[in-house]
Amino acid sequence: MRRPSVVVGAAGLLLVLPLAALTARAFADVWRAPALLPQRWGLRGFDAAFAGDLAGSALLASLGVGVTATLLALAIAWPAARVLGERRLRHPAAVFLLLAMPLLVPPYAVGVGLTEWFLRLGLTGHGAELLLAHLAVVLPYSVLLLLSGFGPEVRWLEEMGRAAGLSSADRLRWITVPALRPTLAAAALVSFLVSWSQYGTSLAVAPAQPTLPVLLLPFVGADPQAAAALSLLFLAPALLALLAAVRAMKAPA
Amino acid sequence: MSAALSIRGLVVAPGAAPVLRGVELEIAAGRRAVLVGPSGAGKTTLLRAIAGLEVVSEGTIELGGRRLDRRVPAHRRRVSVVFQEPRLLPHARIDDNVALPLRAAGVPRRERRQRAGERLEEVGLAGMASRSVRGLSGGEQQRVALARALCGEPELLLLDEPLAAVDPNRRESLRRLIARVQHDRRLTTLVITHDRAEAAELAETLALMLEGRIVQQAEPREIFERPATAAVARFFGTGTILRGTVAGGQLHLDDGALIPLPGPDGPATCVIRPEAVSVDDAGPLRAEVAEAIYAGTHVRLVLHRGDLRITAHVAPETQVSVGSEIGLDLPADRLWRIPDEDPHVSAGS
Repeated sequence: MRRPSVVVGAAGLLLVLPLAALTARAFADVWRAPALLPQRWGLRGFDAAFAGDLAGSALLASLGVGVTATLLALAIAWPAARVLGERRLRHPAAVFLLLAMPLLVPPYAVGVGLTEWFLRLGLTGHGAELLLAHLAVVLPYSVLLLLSGFGPEVRWLEEMGRAAGLSSADRLRWITVPALRPTLAAAALVSFLVSWSQYGTSLAVAPAQPTLPVLLLPFVGADPQAAAALSLLFLAPALLALLAAVRAMKAPA
Repeated sequence: MSAALSIRGLVVAPGAAPVLRGVELEIAAGRRAVLVGPSGAGKTTLLRAIAGLEVVSEGTIELGGRRLDRRVPAHRRRVSVVFQEPRLLPHARIDDNVALPLRAAGVPRRERRQRAGERLEEVGLAGMASRSVRGLSGGEQQRVALARALCGEPELLLLDEPLAAVDPNRRESLRRLIARVQHDRRLTTLVITHDRAEAAELAETLALMLEGRIVQQAEPREIFERPATAAVARFFGTGTILRGTVAGGQLHLDDGALIPLPGPDGPATCVIRPEAVSVDDAGPLRAEVAEAIYAGTHVRLVLHRGDLRITAHVAPETQVSVGSEIGLDLPADRLWRIPDEDPHVSAGS
């Protein structure tokens, strides 16, 4: 019984120690090695990071594209995952290969390739290109995670619902979605986090419309304190998404 | 309110080959019928077709005079199903599982839970309404599934191998519960099973399905003692099948033995149950004892006479030795001559 608690403790330390260092760096106006604590605390990093309106608009852009891409990905992935999960395809390997393609190629390369198409299709300059690019990267994760929830058990429950008198809308609401709730929450969380942390694709597709990772990276070498302050802002929605997902996994129907 | 079920010429072909090939089945209102047959015979497909879960290619299904064709979806048929797997919603309380048909009908939650509680009491699970379905035994889960099926107040109850997923020591009580609930409600019920003993114990009417067709439907005693074909006899383990020709009040077996059997002359296939065969040195048939197994209430004898295999259940005190030749009496009034059976065609089983 002791071993699991040791493992959990070690994993917790691995998470907490970098976060503690990041937080200290964000509030350390002066922090010279090898001192364990900063020599002077302050908010200079936040002043630098949030000067102008860039951080706010980047936060909104990241949130907007992350939430929209997640919702769209789940809507598209649902029927695709269902077909794959219920093994209704004769040659699923080809579909899995197609799904894996955006994950096999570096994100920046995916972004460059997509930009070429967006230019030719007249899809640039509306914000749609960023959303579509994120969707291309997020969708495989959504499908692969969701398909683990579909299988004979869910199909049996839905069939029982049909026999018990439920319409298709009622079956979806009272049987399928609650039965898939943990998988759905996990798929939503991963999809959002993949979009939220997307750097290469965003930079290639919409450099003029910076998201938080695009805004963050130039600070990393130039001003570590401002980069740490921006990272805390970067971390907050991700942690909130994680908490919401855990809550959704546990919540009763 | 229960309704009579009438199925005529039903053909279901989900793939290239039909699974059901012209099924005819009648169940009177308020009766309990059991459909039995080997795996792959098409029993579950028939149940699914009745419930509206399988597309029917040809034929008709009528329930209380209402025709259940493809325009009547599953949720409008007033047919409830208890599946082989209990299929309970893991995220819902027991009473919410039971009340699912009421939720579909728009019954308010308070009334739903009250009625679900009554159904749970009916199946012997009073006081468990607010518990989670996780942790229930196989038998308890199947009782919840039965309560859910009853909650829809169906005109027809279908049960697909309801005892299959239940511990052997709990099957008996669940079997009694199904019989009692059906009897008390006078609910038209069709139970599907592959187990012959279970079928005989549960059935008021018994139907045997072989290769997509109902080959005989009758009361259990009738079907066990007077099988319509040799295939029926083989499925129910009726005992010994004798083939030969009747002439002058005697059955002439192919090896020349004569057994008294009145009736019209001509080719004949006869069956006799093991308990009707007795050991009698003066009997008309002699055979070699291949096995003699003491089974408490009787001794089970397996006897060989050339290619003929005879089984007999004789009194436990009977002393016979394996390898010896003994005489057997096969009383004419216990020999069942299968009607219109061509003895030279081997019926599949």
